Amino acid sequence: MMATHLSAVGVEKSYRKGKTQVPVLHGVDFEIEHGELVAIIGTSGSGKSTLLHVLGLLDAPDAGSVVLDGRRIDNQADRQRDALRNNTFGFIFQFYHLLPELSALENVMMPQMIRHGFWAFLRERRRVRREATALLERVGLGHRLHHLPTELSGGEMQRTAIARALAGGPEVLLADEPTGNLDASTGQGVLDLLRDLNRERGLTMIMVTHDAHIAQQADRVVRLAEGRIEEWAPALA
Amino acid sequence: MYKYLLCWRYLRTRYIALASVISVMLGVATMIVVNSVMAGFAEKMRDRLHGVLADIVVESEFDMNGFYNSKEVMARIESVAGNQVEAMAPAMETYGLMQFRYGGQTFTRQVQVFGVRPEERARTGDFAEFLVDEKGKRIKPSFEVPESLRIASSPAGQVIEGDPNSAINQLLRSEALEQVPDDGAVIGWAMGTVHREGKDEIILHRGDTIRVIYPRAGQKPEPGADDFTVVGYFKSGMSENDSMHIYVPLERFQHVRRLIDEQGRGAVNQIQIKVRPGVNLDSLKETLQTALEDLRPMYFRVATWEQKQGPLLSAVAVEQSILNMLLFFIIAVAGFGILAIFSMIVVEKTRDIGVMKALGASTSGVRGIFLGYGLLLGAVGSGVGMAGGLLFVHYINNIEKWLSNLTGRKVFDDSIYYFNEIPTLVEPWTVCWIVGGALFIAAAASVWPAQRASKLQPVRALRFE
Repeated sequence: MMATHLSAVGVEKSYRKGKTQVPVLHGVDFEIEHGELVAIIGTSGSGKSTLLHVLGLLDAPDAGSVVLDGRRIDNQADRQRDALRNNTFGFIFQFYHLLPELSALENVMMPQMIRHGFWAFLRERRRVRREATALLERVGLGHRLHHLPTELSGGEMQRTAIARALAGGPEVLLADEPTGNLDASTGQGVLDLLRDLNRERGLTMIMVTHDAHIAQQADRVVRLAEGRIEEWAPALA
Repeated sequence: MYKYLLCWRYLRTRYIALASVISVMLGVATMIVVNSVMAGFAEKMRDRLHGVLADIVVESEFDMNGFYNSKEVMARIESVAGNQVEAMAPAMETYGLMQFRYGGQTFTRQVQVFGVRPEERARTGDFAEFLVDEKGKRIKPSFEVPESLRIASSPAGQVIEGDPNSAINQLLRSEALEQVPDDGAVIGWAMGTVHREGKDEIILHRGDTIRVIYPRAGQKPEPGADDFTVVGYFKSGMSENDSMHIYVPLERFQHVRRLIDEQGRGAVNQIQIKVRPGVNLDSLKETLQTALEDLRPMYFRVATWEQKQGPLLSAVAVEQSILNMLLFFIIAVAGFGILAIFSMIVVEKTRDIGVMKALGASTSGVRGIFLGYGLLLGAVGSGVGMAGGLLFVHYINNIEKWLSNLTGRKVFDDSIYYFNEIPTLVEPWTVCWIVGGALFIAAAASVWPAQRASKLQPVRALRFE
């Protein structure tokens, strides 16, 4: 039995919409083990993205806690949370969210640039550049290093985003509808890439999707309905 | 590191933001040009004021008739500060009237009459540099009326023709010499000319006779009058002086004002002092004031030329500072432009800010991007503005010529100030202040948008789609 890597305990979260509070998560308990690939499915508005954001410290829970390797992380100071997002988590978004002013290579170098100050980065820049290039080559974009996001196709942009998510050397990869904006075959290519990375690097990976077919490719699937988690056996689909 | 990269990229890709610094640029350029021209004018004006006066002036404060012991006073000055004094010149200054005939009419105007010794006066200031003839050419500092001038301008002299040694011509000649006063006077350029259609037209020629009316000495001042021959013009470039000053020989003036005592000493009410280079005027002034106080208490007033011209000089300084304040508002307005455009850019960049935060950027890091961007824009604006302003100042006279040709009328009428070109003076500190101020405003205008950007919650930023 592997140890729990990341878990959410009794997480509650609601959003304010005008004057009314809209509850999204009512006491979600969720755990994932080291190296596991878990898919979270649910209808839109079921709170799956919110859960992912809470797990990745992009959002703070109203109640409950987020625990990483036995250590509570959601209540830490801003500085530590920034550092965790930079070192431990890697994010992949549905709309890629590459910075439009930067080339693919610079986008991939971004986590390292954020990590290091000006002088430290200047010292490290050869290594950072080499690693970023290697990552882009790994996702099959070795020939696209200096292209701006607007010059890349959807699949290429998502591969760049994946390379960027890996550039900080994360332990946990959080993917929010990574194939949601891609056609089926491109999407499958991205999924295969994620699966391979999960295997070869032992990355813990949480993937949010509303597509049961995609979810089936995960080690385990959980379903988020009405703000609560249910286990979901692929065979039942 | 990402901050600098992004600042740089934003600068190179957002042209709208560059447009917002055009106003900063224009503001900086305008301020540099205006300050340089005003400083140039002020400098020229100070030069001229200084030239008309001497470095230090000793006056009898409440006594227009002055003092007879000028030799004693000068000896006293010599004894306490001889090593600091280069030259001294006594003078008698009083208000009066000038009468002259032009076009068959008699004109009278108010004047300030100075009885001076021209050679001495020339040594204490720029008196000699300001003396010109009708054509504007420099002449010697002297009140002597040349015989040729007397003959040419007298009624008798004008009818002389043929052999100059003939009996009739000899007679006319002696007649002519009597018709023209022996003593010369130098009158202000603006008193001897009228300004018509951009040109100065001479109405009092050299050789013309003027009558000067002045108060005579005595308990009850009575008017006295004396005739002088115009021998030159005083053209300092300060209209106040050039329209009021009239210089006559000191001894003659003392005589006709009845200011010569039984020992034959003439009274003066001013002693002009030129000091050696590097002497501190204010401390010398104090020394002299104390020394002269011993000689005759509560009588003498010692003043530096700046104190004498205090109101005018401070008026110029006030003008310049008010103008600076007003112009700085231009840059402040530009600051609001930056604020508005920055706020828009922050909204536009909301998603990117969310991404950066998701990648681990800190609040202060995001703030730094926008603050740095603001500063960079300010630097570009004020840098280009500075270069433009300095270039404009450097070529201001060419630009003036070009504009005059283009519009067909003179932009800078040189006859008003008697400057043949626009004077400029670039003060490095002023330029530093202007550029620093513009940078500060640009940075200050980006504080609020940067603060807003840094406070964005990453999730809220990312949901913005």
